[in-house]
Amino acid sequence: MPEPEPSFFTRHQFLIYRLFSLSGLVPVGAFLIVHLVTNASVLAGPGTFQSRVDMIHSLGPLLVPIEWAFIFLPMLFHATVGFVIIAGGLPNVGSYPYVGNVRYTLQRATGMIAFAFIIWHVLQLHWMGAPLGGGKFDPHHASSSAAVALQPVGVAILYAIGILSAVFHFANGLWTLGITWGLWTSPGAMRRANWISVAVGILLGAAGLGALGGMRRLDIEQAKVIENRMDDVKRMLEGQAPASEPAVRVPAAAPARPVSAPVSSAGR
Amino acid sequence: MIQRADSGHDNLPTGQGAVPADTPRTIHVRVLRQDAPGEESYWERHAVPYEPNMNVISVLQRIAERARAEDGREVPPVAWDCSCLEEVCGSCTMLVNGRTRMACSALVDRLLEENPSEIELRPMSKFPVVRDLKVDRGRLFRALERVKAWVPVDGSYDHGPGPRISPEEQEEAYPLSECMSCGCCLEACPQYTRIEIVQREDESDVDFARRRAAAYDKAFLGAHAVSQAVLFNSHPTGRMIADERMTALTSAGGIQMCGNAQNCVAVCPKHIPLTRSIARAGRAATMWAIRKLFDR
Repeated sequence: MPEPEPSFFTRHQFLIYRLFSLSGLVPVGAFLIVHLVTNASVLAGPGTFQSRVDMIHSLGPLLVPIEWAFIFLPMLFHATVGFVIIAGGLPNVGSYPYVGNVRYTLQRATGMIAFAFIIWHVLQLHWMGAPLGGGKFDPHHASSSAAVALQPVGVAILYAIGILSAVFHFANGLWTLGITWGLWTSPGAMRRANWISVAVGILLGAAGLGALGGMRRLDIEQAKVIENRMDDVKRMLEGQAPASEPAVRVPAAAPARPVSAPVSSAGR
Repeated sequence: MIQRADSGHDNLPTGQGAVPADTPRTIHVRVLRQDAPGEESYWERHAVPYEPNMNVISVLQRIAERARAEDGREVPPVAWDCSCLEEVCGSCTMLVNGRTRMACSALVDRLLEENPSEIELRPMSKFPVVRDLKVDRGRLFRALERVKAWVPVDGSYDHGPGPRISPEEQEEAYPLSECMSCGCCLEACPQYTRIEIVQREDESDVDFARRRAAAYDKAFLGAHAVSQAVLFNSHPTGRMIADERMTALTSAGGIQMCGNAQNCVAVCPKHIPLTRSIARAGRAATMWAIRKLFDR
């Protein structure tokens, strides 16, 4: 009897699973680190966070393709393969409650929580979510707009769960990635490597919760004043009139250098 | 909690007073039975008189002798697999109190410490049941065929003496060679899921065997086969077909299916460093994939 031709996924399973493993580290994991550390800069004041956001948005029209190529598509790939992997397994912590098995189960649970959280988070804050009533993040008023969105206690709790899930998933995934690719092979090496994961997890978790707490504890009005002032400076550098009703008049600084290629941040 | 003086090889005839008063007179056993492949399973209670130093096999022997359930009904004796009775053949794997282990080394006194009221016996859940506690572990052996878990020395001529193996290499290899194909690592693995192919009415035995092998060949190899591939790829003669083993390890159902739950190493009755084998196979697969990509 002729066997049906194996599917593309079956034929290239090894390659797909290895790309899945790699994508969890770069670019998805690397983005998580950059994202949480950038957001934690709000702890140094709304001005610091605003200047980080401005740096990202200085990419201008390149920002959208970069977001899709290095963040959204790799994340969707990682999530799709991840769901296939989850569907193929049968967790059994009830019968075998070993630490490794608990971590195996948590890795899958946190992956699914993080996936749901990220979809919600993107729709809530990213401009793509605007048609659905989201898109609340204003890159010109980074701290204050984020602070407003994060004010409800329920939102903050869901964010804490989502952030910690993503961080656990990344830190634990770092450890299993090392086994998968054969970086650490002996039980002793695995134990030592585990400390790297624990340290990464604690540091990133602190950064993530610090960012969340920092945003929520901001004085929103004061942050707006700072952001407006920074926005006016940016507009002046681009040769435009200040948008905000000038609450604080920026003293005319040295004549602005001519901006060769005006960077449009197109209302995002 | 049953506390028993560990009396070694004393025979302890009844009435000599060496058995503490709270020693159970009767052991209650709950067995998950199944009359034939594909049929419904059902629980059956058995009671056997307590004897010192029993293991699960001797309990099953008493159950077979009585061939009566606890309620007195005459029942067919419970079927099970066993051979060596000293934890080296790997044939008596079953779920004892919910955990995969060898029935021969599952001592009743220890089990009663876990749960004094009864002992629960179930067949392995990852393999098709043949009858009662007997399962068909064909997929386990099929996986060993897939990774060519042997040293290829067959031929029509004398290969001469084999290469020397250093004591250090021997020490690395010996623990891996202790694998007895019991399947505990597979039973406890959350990534190793049950495959049961049922023969169709109009299907010949040959067609059925081919269809079953094809289903097994796409599914996860399991920790035992990965470890055997590592063992034979570390052997100087076995290494001659290393590429064929790497092909098997990186094919569908290969090393990539491991989810790093590490239950295999936790339940292995021979304490084989299975996760080290898996990580080594992972490293070898990384190197092999790079070689395949850039050296051709």
